[in-house]
Amino acid sequence: MIYKCKNCGGNVVYHPDKKKMYCPHCDGTDSEEEVRSSVITECANCGAPMEVSGYTSACKCEHCGSYTILEERVEGEFTPHLILPFQISKEKAVKLLEKEFQSRYFTPGTFLSAATLQGMEGIYVPFFLYDYLATFDYAGTGTKVRSWRSGNTEYVETSYFRVERNLNIDFDRIPVDASINMEDGKMDLLEPFDAKALEAFQKKYMSGFLGEKFSEGLMDLEPRAQEKARRDSEELLRETLSGYTTLQADRKHLNFQRQKAEYALLPVWVYYYSYHGKKYTYYINGQSGKILGKTPVSKGKVFAYGSAAWGFLFTMMLLVKMILEVL
Amino acid sequence: MKKFLKSFKVCFIILGVLAVFYFGLTGIHSLTGSLKNGSRENTECTTEERVFDLADVLSDKEEEKLRKLIARREAQTGCDIVLVTLNESLREYAYERQEYVAEDKYVMIYADDFYDEHMFGYDKPQGNGVLFLDNLHREDDGWAYSWLCTTGKAEGKYSSSMIDHLLEKSYRWSKLSPYLGYKAYINQFYHDMNGFGFVSINFSVPIILIVSLVTAVGFVLCNLGSEAGKKTTTANTYVKNGKVKINHREDRFIRKSVAQHRIQNSSSGGGHGGGGGGHHVSSGGVSHGGGGHRH
Repeated sequence: MIYKCKNCGGNVVYHPDKKKMYCPHCDGTDSEEEVRSSVITECANCGAPMEVSGYTSACKCEHCGSYTILEERVEGEFTPHLILPFQISKEKAVKLLEKEFQSRYFTPGTFLSAATLQGMEGIYVPFFLYDYLATFDYAGTGTKVRSWRSGNTEYVETSYFRVERNLNIDFDRIPVDASINMEDGKMDLLEPFDAKALEAFQKKYMSGFLGEKFSEGLMDLEPRAQEKARRDSEELLRETLSGYTTLQADRKHLNFQRQKAEYALLPVWVYYYSYHGKKYTYYINGQSGKILGKTPVSKGKVFAYGSAAWGFLFTMMLLVKMILEVL
Repeated sequence: MKKFLKSFKVCFIILGVLAVFYFGLTGIHSLTGSLKNGSRENTECTTEERVFDLADVLSDKEEEKLRKLIARREAQTGCDIVLVTLNESLREYAYERQEYVAEDKYVMIYADDFYDEHMFGYDKPQGNGVLFLDNLHREDDGWAYSWLCTTGKAEGKYSSSMIDHLLEKSYRWSKLSPYLGYKAYINQFYHDMNGFGFVSINFSVPIILIVSLVTAVGFVLCNLGSEAGKKTTTANTYVKNGKVKINHREDRFIRKSVAQHRIQNSSSGGGHGGGGGGHHVSSGGVSHGGGGHRH
């Protein structure tokens, strides 16, 4: 299905800045109506055949540019509980990339050119959000060491303590991406997403963006969520154990009780840039604007800047040497 | 291109300032040189010659060029500037005059005598002036020695490290050609006499070339591999209200132990002596400064 404008028939999309449905053709807002397509592989606007890959839940028609939402992939068992609507528009995302990379010396001139930017798309990435109640039970021996000097003698005093902790940690919505197309490490680095901005799922937020349904199951991903929770728990326990020189644990039990797990779509901008055969991928958190990616490098610029810097440094040092010699 | 030039704006300014500073300094030197020194007053000097190329390493044309340069620099420094090249052992010469002389001092004795006997000196006989003796002959120890003999106000101005610097610079240029080495000696003497006596560290051009290359490579590397995106979550990012509930907390003192050990006092000793000087009195009773090099 697609959202069409009641006034002009154009494709209505969700606008992150206006926080409204917006028709870029007639400038109308909230003028959308749902138009369904009878065949999933055909564009509901122009009827052109669409290549729909296995997990795609929203795509863009290559012919007319309309954004189609594949209803059956956001319904039934695939209905997301939550969605975090894009808060960063494409223009803003481009500006953020520009700010981060354009000022760097070796960025090629074609980075962020209009032609390559055409392929930049916002994607709703499937995530599972896990709530856990963690119980951490710890017991051990801690030492505190103090030393002082008196005359020619050094004294070292070691005090021994019985250390016990019992903590409850209430983990709320630990995100784990459920897309096999997205690199886990990259998605982890894109965190945090502001959980307060999550809303109950509505299809219209997907209009104007690409989307995927989950391709990894809730149970399969649970170990990743627990690993994140375990790492955080260990650190939180350590924070309560500060002040000891050494610690020797004789009891350490960490137990997780899953309270809830939700299926959510989180916003990510993806920009592919290719330069002289080298491919660069950039991810931008569609809510916070956090950027992931490597600085693109133009060999010509490296050579130009490198040799100019060399020339400058050499001339400068030579001049300093000459000055010192006549001083 | 515009961005490229813009990013080097500061560099151009720095180079401009340094160049202005350099030319300003040399300008001041030639100005003070022409104002400070009167005409030569020594009438007893036995020769008009300043370039004694006894080793015959210079062409006639080069000698002539050096004579002209020396004439100009003498007026600017108020010092006689003498150059002597030799290619003979000075061992016998030195032992005729002194009972025991170390190899590196043969050249000193010869240079001092040469200066004294010819009555060099801008203001008076055996007065202000400098003599550079370059002996190409390798003495028995396998080294070739050179000596810079300073007299009068040149002796007062030149510290050992300044002499070292001048000889080092002259030697480095002489590797290209002897003429350039001697020219560097005359010009450096002129700058030293009119400058503040600041001793520069002897950075050779290849070293500058390498240091600047390494720095430029560092600049490139610093700007090359930077990756945007670091971990920005903390341990309590996903903890409700950011707080941990502590049900039980106990830190109970059990016992303590005290260990003691004696501290061995280590004493440090030793020291080092410094060198210096270069001032001496020649056999003719004239006070000279000086310093030598070997290669």
